[in-house]
Amino acid sequence: MKTQMAAVRPLVAVERTVRIAVAGNPNSGKSTLINSLAGSRLHVGNWPGVTVEKKEAAFERRGERIALVDLPGTYSLSPYTEEEVIARDYLVQERPDVIIDVVDVTNLERNLYLTVQLLELEIPVVVALNIFDEAEKKGYRIDVPAMEQALGVRIVPTVATKGTGLDALLEAATAAAGDPSRYRPRRLHYGDDIEAAAKSLMAEVLRRSPGLAETYPERWLAFKLLEGDRRVIEEVGLSGIEPLAAKAAEHLLSAHGEDVESLMADARYAQAAGLTREVLAKPDVRKVELTEKIDRIALNRFLGIPIFLAAMWLVFKLTFDVSAPFADGLATVTTGPFTRWTRVLVGLVRGPDWLVSLVTDGVIAGVGSVLVFVPVIFAMMFFITFLEGSGYMARAAFVMDRAMHSMGLHGKSFIPMLLGFGCNVPAIYATRTLENPRDKALTALLIPLMSCGARLPVYVLFVGAFFSSRSGTVLWSLYVMGIVLAVLMGILFKRTLFRGESPMFIMELPPYRMPSGRSLMIHTWEKGKHFLLKAGTYILAVSVLVWFLLNLPWGVEHKKDSYMGTIGQAIAPVFKPLGFGTWEAASSLVAGVIAKEIVVGTMGEIYVPEKKETPAGPPSSLSEDLREIGTSFAEAGKKVFTNVFSTAGIASLSGKGEGRENLRAVMAKTYTPLSAYAFMTFVLLYMPCVVAAAAFKHEFGTWKWFGVAFVYQTVLAWSMAFIIYQGGTILGIGG
Amino acid sequence: MNLAMLKPGEKGRVVGIGAIGPLKRRLMDMGVLVGEEIRVEKIAPLGDPIELTIKGYNLSLRKREAEGIAVEVCR
Repeated sequence: MKTQMAAVRPLVAVERTVRIAVAGNPNSGKSTLINSLAGSRLHVGNWPGVTVEKKEAAFERRGERIALVDLPGTYSLSPYTEEEVIARDYLVQERPDVIIDVVDVTNLERNLYLTVQLLELEIPVVVALNIFDEAEKKGYRIDVPAMEQALGVRIVPTVATKGTGLDALLEAATAAAGDPSRYRPRRLHYGDDIEAAAKSLMAEVLRRSPGLAETYPERWLAFKLLEGDRRVIEEVGLSGIEPLAAKAAEHLLSAHGEDVESLMADARYAQAAGLTREVLAKPDVRKVELTEKIDRIALNRFLGIPIFLAAMWLVFKLTFDVSAPFADGLATVTTGPFTRWTRVLVGLVRGPDWLVSLVTDGVIAGVGSVLVFVPVIFAMMFFITFLEGSGYMARAAFVMDRAMHSMGLHGKSFIPMLLGFGCNVPAIYATRTLENPRDKALTALLIPLMSCGARLPVYVLFVGAFFSSRSGTVLWSLYVMGIVLAVLMGILFKRTLFRGESPMFIMELPPYRMPSGRSLMIHTWEKGKHFLLKAGTYILAVSVLVWFLLNLPWGVEHKKDSYMGTIGQAIAPVFKPLGFGTWEAASSLVAGVIAKEIVVGTMGEIYVPEKKETPAGPPSSLSEDLREIGTSFAEAGKKVFTNVFSTAGIASLSGKGEGRENLRAVMAKTYTPLSAYAFMTFVLLYMPCVVAAAAFKHEFGTWKWFGVAFVYQTVLAWSMAFIIYQGGTILGIGG
Repeated sequence: MNLAMLKPGEKGRVVGIGAIGPLKRRLMDMGVLVGEEIRVEKIAPLGDPIELTIKGYNLSLRKREAEGIAVEVCR
């Protein structure tokens, strides 16, 4: 194949780029189709200024350069949702050479409603009649030539999950792009009144500004002006155009008693419905479909919630238990062999001790803290993509919406919040399943109140030292406190920051389908890679910064005299009313912004200074190191198995009672049970760690929402700890 | 009579959409048009939202949105 390509290429010297935009309804199999077309050449990013994902690919096919852009999945091209505006602006402003319109044949009429709107743009369209195999299995018969005739476009049956028809699709697309006059889409007739109104309005508009005919497809512009589309009216920016359009619209309104937007929707659906009747023949006897059978159980009044909870438990368990051993393995390798090698390397170039420490404790530790998140991000993306692709995500939203709506959230908010108990970072990324920006931001803001796995070691330390007889209850109370505060903050945010109409809930329940493995893999890989590159940079920077804070000024002997210690001393008074106004506690909390479990490590270092262990014993050889790497990953594989199959509990969340006896003894002298509880409350609530911060920035493209989380959580943490400590003191509890 | 009043298994024909602006446009984009037949399939376990069949596919709406859709019962 390769050699053949190489032989052909020199013959086709003319290089032109065919720009293809791929449009389609959500759940039409569009992303699978894109993945199959572009594969590993796919580049995933964001549309400028918004959080909507943008996929692009550039590749060569039979001597032609192809630039593929995936538009967000939309049902329509109205100006009301972010996705629709993006798709529309791209099509109108960039005018691709051809549009591939992915249509789910099993849901033909509603999919054609978008097709009809795409035709208005007068760009050549090629329709991919996707999921064709399922339609055939149902006994649907589709008259493809009649459909081509009626729409004036090329139509190619495809099965994206199996790769069927994709070559023909690209062939048709490049052909249509090469000869646009031959593949001009048909102008569908929207009824005499609308057509006449559009024609006379357009004549008047073009008389005033003839140049508009070059910027916009005429008919499309006329329809948008009639519909009173604010964005288009503003973009056109022609004075007097608004009253002109309004007058024409008024005329239609009085004739039909309906606003133009409704008339247009009716006219477009009439076209879609008419065409569907003409070209699609369904069998007379309708079988009860698999989706219906599954939903009778999955959405059952009594079984719906238990099934949902069981599914969620499974997702949570798989996400964290599958990834945890790999995270441990990665940590072992970075702190073990990798650190040792670096020491040797820096030693070889005669680097000074501080350089060794900067590289190992700063840079490598930073890289390590990024790496440990990679498995959980991969695992989470995998399961979330599976839930979405299979169709269960919409059911989960359906089942949970009532409960989530009461705190201003959407049914789909539940899964990200749940993942938050494992780790806030994948949870924040998981908010991408929410379409509405408001729902998304509000969900992400509440996620940090879900007590993540990294806070557990802190609780374990304190609970072990102060509440060993009631450890379960105390631990449980902290988790519940987080949930209760999330509900209260949700209600508060709903009434303040997110005041106004709560977004509508109009959601398709797509048929259950098995997502293609290839698509799952590509999606998961892209997300993981993105995280490594983007979030990794911030985390590394902060890690190096903290190293400097702990080790400057040069040659600092005691941690108290380091900049970190100085910061701790400076801010300690702030914590005085909370019962832990010591520089040790303050410094630990500052260090804990890297990851909350670091609070414990820092406390260990500060309270129980250990003798600096110079690498004792003979240095390990390369083969030993390699063996260690090998075994740690073999262990990881084994542990995944035992984690997933052995217990009903979540293995990665069970407290690890590390041997910190000395530390506990010191703590018992410095804290009272009351101040210990206040401290744990503070750790539960105070600012998200830097990885979560990076996730906020990465997912939302702005620091704004992290800023909000930072401020409200700091205030909340301080106030709650204050109330607990002062309240407890007054009541004489645990003092 | 509005859509939220139908019981699971009952069918209604849309006679009017009370919503305005984006909500109305969105409903129409999803195929909720005057004259269209809608069947109520299920009510979520917690009592809201509801699941409908329209134009051969399944759609879910909160009751609040469904209340704005006037229907006449079909037999």
